[in-house]
Amino acid sequence: MTVTAGNSLLERLRRDPRMHEAVLRFGESIIALVIGLTIGAVILWVSGYSPGEAYYYLFQSSLLDTYGLTSTLSFATPVLLTGLTFAIGARAGLFNIGAEGQLYMGALGATLLAWLAMHVPLLDSPLGTLVGLLLGAALGAGLALIAAMLRVYRGVHEVVSTIMLNWIAYWLVYYLQSQKLYWPKDPTKSIPVPPGARLPLLLPGTELSASFLIAIGFTVFTYYLLWHMVHGYELRASGLSPRAARYAGIDPNRSIMLAFVLGGVAAGLAGAGEVMGRPPHYAITSGLSNLVNMGFDGITVALIGANHPLGMIPAAIFIGALNAGSRAMQAFAGVPLEMVRIVEGVIIIALAVPGILHMIEEYLRRKRELREIAAKEAEASQAG
Amino acid sequence: MAAPETGREPVVSMRDIVKIYPDGTVALRGVNLDIYPGEVLGLLGENGAGKTTLMKILAGFLKPTSGYILLRGRRVVWHSAAEALRHGIGMVHQHLSLVPVFTAYENIILGLPSRMLAGARQRIEKLMEETGLEVPLDEVVELLSFGEQQRVEILRMLFRNVDVLILDEPTTNLTPNETETLFNAIRKLKQQGKSIVFITHKLREVLEITDRIVVMRRGRVVGELPRAMADPRLLARMMVGREVLMRVEKPPAKPGEVVLRVENLWVKRDIGTWGVRGVSFEIRAGEIFGIAGVEGNGQAELVEAITGLRRVERGKIYFLGRDVTNLGPAELYRMGMAHVPEDRRSTGLIMDMNVVENSILGLHRWERFLRNKWGMLNWAAAEEHAKELVKKYEIAAPGLYSPVKYLSGGNQQKLLLGREISKNPKLIVAAQPTRGLDVAATEYVRRMLVALRNQGHAVLLVSSDTDEVMQLSDRIAVMYRGRFVVVTRPEEVTEEKLGLYMGGIEQA
Repeated sequence: MTVTAGNSLLERLRRDPRMHEAVLRFGESIIALVIGLTIGAVILWVSGYSPGEAYYYLFQSSLLDTYGLTSTLSFATPVLLTGLTFAIGARAGLFNIGAEGQLYMGALGATLLAWLAMHVPLLDSPLGTLVGLLLGAALGAGLALIAAMLRVYRGVHEVVSTIMLNWIAYWLVYYLQSQKLYWPKDPTKSIPVPPGARLPLLLPGTELSASFLIAIGFTVFTYYLLWHMVHGYELRASGLSPRAARYAGIDPNRSIMLAFVLGGVAAGLAGAGEVMGRPPHYAITSGLSNLVNMGFDGITVALIGANHPLGMIPAAIFIGALNAGSRAMQAFAGVPLEMVRIVEGVIIIALAVPGILHMIEEYLRRKRELREIAAKEAEASQAG
Repeated sequence: MAAPETGREPVVSMRDIVKIYPDGTVALRGVNLDIYPGEVLGLLGENGAGKTTLMKILAGFLKPTSGYILLRGRRVVWHSAAEALRHGIGMVHQHLSLVPVFTAYENIILGLPSRMLAGARQRIEKLMEETGLEVPLDEVVELLSFGEQQRVEILRMLFRNVDVLILDEPTTNLTPNETETLFNAIRKLKQQGKSIVFITHKLREVLEITDRIVVMRRGRVVGELPRAMADPRLLARMMVGREVLMRVEKPPAKPGEVVLRVENLWVKRDIGTWGVRGVSFEIRAGEIFGIAGVEGNGQAELVEAITGLRRVERGKIYFLGRDVTNLGPAELYRMGMAHVPEDRRSTGLIMDMNVVENSILGLHRWERFLRNKWGMLNWAAAEEHAKELVKKYEIAAPGLYSPVKYLSGGNQQKLLLGREISKNPKLIVAAQPTRGLDVAATEYVRRMLVALRNQGHAVLLVSSDTDEVMQLSDRIAVMYRGRFVVVTRPEEVTEEKLGLYMGGIEQA
């Protein structure tokens, strides 16, 4: 291997196969999006809607005007964070689908702040914002920690534990919202976060709050942790090969703990951010209706973004755009919201296709190679 | 070919069988084998010689990369083991495949269509009577002893009326009495005209029970002879063989101070039984201490205990004079231990990580690769390190940032070895360091180990390749059933003799 001259950043990036890989993966995701949208168009057309009109309103209203764009970004915020929950887990070799419940717990944390602020006026301030976020992160991490400990000490698979914990969190938060922390003026909501403790809006009159910046910040932090810090290196090593990790003096269980807790913090922040930064409620609504599915949508984001934090930013914005635009699509093109879900589903299936093609290609290449070696060996054995 | 009776047609012929595993490991390099009706064929060889792979191909568990099988003269291709079984070829694996919560009877009839079950119980009882392979039919299998479970599996095959019964290392976990029962059954089956293939590395057994012996080494058949012409010495020599490799030049050893001392070490296997049963030895700076033996006699557990990967139950390990019993790998590496593990693909390297990332595996918390106490990695230093390894050890890699799974086995091993040497260790523990490597890479690795020893490093070499241990070691121990049966010097022992120690036939 020779190292040629030219050490400018651009030159280095150009030579780095990791860049090629990234470009390739990005391209694959784009192709999958196109396929998904195309098949979605066919479904729309067959169902008697005009695909052109539907997509026009979908994207016009979500990306091409200021209010729509901010709405897209505010939809992207929680799913980016819950996507990180899944992606960090996946990097550590886990299938952590607990973001849904951890997000509820995060929302509960922010609601506890709202309740506290009723008694402690001092918290109706940026200090309250901080306390709410910390409570949310702590409760999210706390729920994740249960799954982590079950996995590490009792060998309970995280799919089982997180599914169950999701329900436990759902009914716990639902109970507290409706029985203990409800707002006397409107019992279908919890006590709203007081104005002074809310996350500030980035643009007045829109839904976009500072929680978007928190999500972006956490994403960059996660990227840095995974690829530029020793803890992230150990986490990825444990995920790729627990045996090799142990051999290298790494305790894979510590990586599992770290992945769960960090993921819990991300989902907790997502939930707290929804309550503290999302107009008009600033509260948990009955049946957790302003929160449900945000955790599971994160899995979609993680898949589209190939579990890479930086790749997940555009993925989250895309999913946010589908959510934000689906309102206009319904209003102006008369297409039901469920159509958007179908398009999402098709995209995810399409995303799996390049992976399958790679596998087939690799398999055929390998088989050809083996045939060649085998022919040589047989020849040699006959000669010998 | 030494056919037992001329004029008799083989029931099965395997021709030019080559098997290369998807990871590039060459298991069989063109094997021809005939099996005759009514004979017990002993398939003898060291671990990794290809015996099991060959038989798995015959029984339809694996597909050959090239070559073909003739069954009674007709060419057959198996798409599954079930298909081979329907055609009368059944294999009993070393690790049994029974349903633990089913009874013996249920296990025997499992998977058969109901039309074949009329009078099944009577037929099984008759089989048991004929062969002497008695089992309590209504007992749940997990409550049976290993020997009984094995009989269930054999009965399962016989009930399906196999003509060729393959037994893979059947005596490994049997008591002497159970072995005797099994041998009697084999003799009876032979009289019924069945062919039995007996895979083993135990010389004594192969001489006791077989009619014809085929010896395999490194994926080839290296010899075939009727039992009458075989004796343990001859077989041991054939099994171990001499390789065509160049001899590695080795100046006389200049042993220095004691680097590693192991005292009466007891270590358990994963399944809870004793793997290492009271082993003691010392290694000095500037010498290679080789441990020979058939795999599975405790070497892996010994290596893991020394390198901090497995709990020591009893006994002590001293490294550089310090008691390091049950110390973790990270501390041991810091003190100056290096470990080239047996399985580079799943333990020593991370296939999906790139060359740079792998070049710091285990060293990643060393100061030179960290930018500060917060744990920020210094990738520039890591890249420099990887570059040095690539240059120094002539590693052919598509790039520093390619995943190591795209490197050949030899280059993977060079990277691993280079990384371990870069720890500047006092002791290098190398387990099966040349397994699966081609001739050139094997030689490279061996030279490297001798060079390290010449520079005053202590080397612990564990290998089931007897020739390798003989060539490289200054002192040799043979491990058998968790103990050292002998500790000697290469000039004081022959390979033949070593083979006998390894087979548990001779004790020092």
